[in-house]
Amino acid sequence: MILLSALVIGLAVGLGWSRWRDQPYQAPALKFIWLVLVAFLPQLIVAYLPVSHTLLPDWLAAISISLSLIVFLLFVLLNRKLPGMPILIIGLVLNLIVILANQGWMPISPQTASHLVGGSNIQSYSIGRRFGEKDILLNPQDIHFEILSDRFLLPDWFSYKVAFSLGDILIALGVFWLLVKPANQTEGQRS
Amino acid sequence: MKNKLASLTMFVSKIDRQHVQLVIALAALAMLVLGVGAPSNGGSAGPH
Repeated sequence: MILLSALVIGLAVGLGWSRWRDQPYQAPALKFIWLVLVAFLPQLIVAYLPVSHTLLPDWLAAISISLSLIVFLLFVLLNRKLPGMPILIIGLVLNLIVILANQGWMPISPQTASHLVGGSNIQSYSIGRRFGEKDILLNPQDIHFEILSDRFLLPDWFSYKVAFSLGDILIALGVFWLLVKPANQTEGQRS
Repeated sequence: MKNKLASLTMFVSKIDRQHVQLVIALAALAMLVLGVGAPSNGGSAGPH
């Protein structure tokens, strides 16, 4: 949800910018889009669809997520020359590093997780087990690359509770820039 | 029926190729950010 917000805001800024300059908005010229479908399908099954979320054993789901990220990495590398992609690639690589180092899941500490589900509710979650779509609940001392884990929270005055990683921040910035930038590309093509 | 078909044809002809490209790019980017990002709101997986 938080990453989709970056996409929507980036599109809105890009459209507004191109309208202000009286130029048509151009979609990012993505290549090999079919790779995105191939990469997303496993995650749709193991992480996002409630009906299939628990169908696969956790170890197989973890492998699916890691393989999916590698295909996504191939896609962004093939599109690396687009504006914003270098930032997005760094974010993806950071998430991939921490996920591969922690059994194929994004680690989150009980302290951070308690902000999402409530301090008393966190007692009912087991350490070392899956938490949310792609996370695993681990004690901070057991997390590899803790600095890259889901450790950041939105300010308390936000009603929406979410934990995110440094990689997520860079991914959001990258996609935002990718959608803002095409308006400027038009200017470059005209001059 | 003929009128409906005519208005549908007119509607389809108004859809710009660039608009289709934009929708495809946005769908791909939505899948990309959902796929490569890993924020958690604690949803989906209940307590184990």
